[in-house]
Amino acid sequence: MKNLKGFMTAAAVAAAMLAFPAGAWAAQEVVVGGAISLTGRYSEPAGRLKDGRTLWVEEVNARGGLLGRKVRLVLRDDRSDPSTAVKLYERLLTQEKVDLCVAPYSSPITEATASITERYKCPIVADGAATRSIWGKGRKYIFGLVGPSDDYLRGAVEIAAKKGYKRIAIVNEDSLFSKAAANGAAMYAKKHGLQVVLKEEYPRTQTDFRPLLLKVKALNADALLGGSYFVDAAAITRQLKELNINLKIWAATVGPGLPRFTKDLGPLAEYVLGSTQWEPVPALGYPGIKEFIAKYAKRFGEKPNYHASQGYAAMLILEEAVKKAGKLDREALREQLTKLDMMTHYGRYKVGPDGFNSGKGLLLFQILKGERRLVWPEESQEVAPVVPLPAWDKRPTM
Amino acid sequence: MAERTPGWVYAVYLALALAGAGLPLALAWEGFVGWLAQARSMTSLAVTLQVLASGILQGGLYAVIAMGLTMIFGVMRIINVAHGEFLMVGAYMAFVFFMMLLPEELHSLFTSNLGMAILGVGVFLLICLPLMFLFGMGVQRLLLNPVVGGPELTPLLITFGLSLILINTFISVFSSDFRAIPYMSGALVVGNLALGYPQVISVAVSAAVTGGVFGFLKFSRLGKAVRATAQNADVAMVCGVNVERIYLYTFGFGTALAATGGVLISIQLAFSPEIGGIYILRSFAIIILGGRGNYLGALAGGILLGVIEGFISFFVSQGSQLQELAAYTLLVFMLLVRPQGLLGGIADE
Repeated sequence: MKNLKGFMTAAAVAAAMLAFPAGAWAAQEVVVGGAISLTGRYSEPAGRLKDGRTLWVEEVNARGGLLGRKVRLVLRDDRSDPSTAVKLYERLLTQEKVDLCVAPYSSPITEATASITERYKCPIVADGAATRSIWGKGRKYIFGLVGPSDDYLRGAVEIAAKKGYKRIAIVNEDSLFSKAAANGAAMYAKKHGLQVVLKEEYPRTQTDFRPLLLKVKALNADALLGGSYFVDAAAITRQLKELNINLKIWAATVGPGLPRFTKDLGPLAEYVLGSTQWEPVPALGYPGIKEFIAKYAKRFGEKPNYHASQGYAAMLILEEAVKKAGKLDREALREQLTKLDMMTHYGRYKVGPDGFNSGKGLLLFQILKGERRLVWPEESQEVAPVVPLPAWDKRPTM
Repeated sequence: MAERTPGWVYAVYLALALAGAGLPLALAWEGFVGWLAQARSMTSLAVTLQVLASGILQGGLYAVIAMGLTMIFGVMRIINVAHGEFLMVGAYMAFVFFMMLLPEELHSLFTSNLGMAILGVGVFLLICLPLMFLFGMGVQRLLLNPVVGGPELTPLLITFGLSLILINTFISVFSSDFRAIPYMSGALVVGNLALGYPQVISVAVSAAVTGGVFGFLKFSRLGKAVRATAQNADVAMVCGVNVERIYLYTFGFGTALAATGGVLISIQLAFSPEIGGIYILRSFAIIILGGRGNYLGALAGGILLGVIEGFISFFVSQGSQLQELAAYTLLVFMLLVRPQGLLGGIADE
């Protein structure tokens, strides 16, 4: 009995010690909160987004915080699942009462959570969503940053057209962003008079693409374009080799743009084309791009990819809006985000009447000697694309 | 007293029925037209052979997994819903061994050539199978033994609970990220056929394991006892078979077979703690197809399902979306038309 009493006293003291300082700080902290896919299918791009935001938080605190208050970033794991993300935002906005909201990663999850952030009138700069339809529903508290999904594969189509390749196969995950990317690719292909010989979707849970790829082979496609994320893009690349399928072009969204793609696939990643919003190439000429690349590389030991860059840019934009508003009031913040016109290392932020950052264009790179090199559009080109891709048996062995 | 149903209710029924029948028909028609157009532009002997070969390779893997399930069902009359999770555990064991325990300099040892790669899988299995065999015996002893012979629903619910526990445990340990083992890539090219090395290795190992299981059941004393228990546990017991021990071994074997499937998946595809569901569904379809408790049936059913899936996703437009549908449809169709399965089930004797 005595022991129990002692234990309970100790527990109470411990609890008080834990809770009290936290409570005392909370009054002064600015809590920036959101859900993000720390694990699951989307964890690779989402993780880079998180790194970009983390860098900003560290910097903003070093320069005295936001409105003189310390910033704390709260990112809860939605496990790449939209319904989990919805619950998390509901909790962050009602029980945990975050001051500012940050967006989740991926279009499907942003689409799901946008209704929640809209309901609680918490403005977000959607740094992980590229699908225009999210902005086509009259929402007032969501602001775009990145170029539209429809344009992701445009560069690959244009290269194919220029090279005179006629037969295009398009495959995509059956979710919001990937669908839009695939439909965009099909649209551009038609515009250039190319023939879409296959357009097929696969479920989110797919890991085995071999039957689908056999179809691509049998249809004699010149180019394969994938509306993909990381897991699927990596698996398709691997299985193309396994089935000895030689394509003139293999271009995919998201996956190849992540540092882990080249790390995991090694020589298999060579020559893969990928769409990107931004690359760590100072020649892009945006203000502060060089400094951002250096800071990020110092902090995380690798060059930032476009997701990392977006995560950081969104926070800079939010910071600017808060400064202009002079307070954390959400309506004032919304107003500032609506009219803000700002250049960052990432490019220009200036939303249209629908809240979409319509000026942003896409780029295309190719992985050459383990590095992503910009190949499209021509004005940003670092090197000419190596197409057709060399056949598997003509490449140096691993 | 029942009131007379007004006429408009029947009209609603009729409209719903028409809509219900019409929608699938319209979809089927569209699919059929698309199929005709696509099939005509793609079909050739070489391509058909490639699809067939890939289907058989895939089916071999399915067979190993389904065999474990059918063995457990045949002997114990337990539907092991956690079978897919046992498979997942096997895949993670291979992952831990390859990615965490094996020094990176030795990775290339397993990927340098076909012989070494097969040897590598052999090593995985030598480590993984005894552990999973013990794990299976533990599950049987601690969770299922108390309820064998009771209502059929109880073990089903227990294994269902176990599957959820395993999934969530693995999510908390390994996170729900997809993992992959950078195993040997590349293909064995024979004329127009390209057979991926991981799949070739997988089917070779499946064949060896399947052969081993058949030999064991057919010729060994213990194997005969297992078959006797499957046919009639009471009679087996009267003849001096220690039925409880047989249950223990059977569950161990079944679990090890699932884990074999897991190891073979880990060398060819990405996996996460939630992949079990994909394979348990197919395994159910396979054992219904082949005959419940029938080992040869599992082999035949597995290969058949692999081939059917291959052809569906190849020839039907949007076929990737329809693969799972194929398994479900086969399951229901077989239950209606030939419930004992193609080769007949032990359960129906």
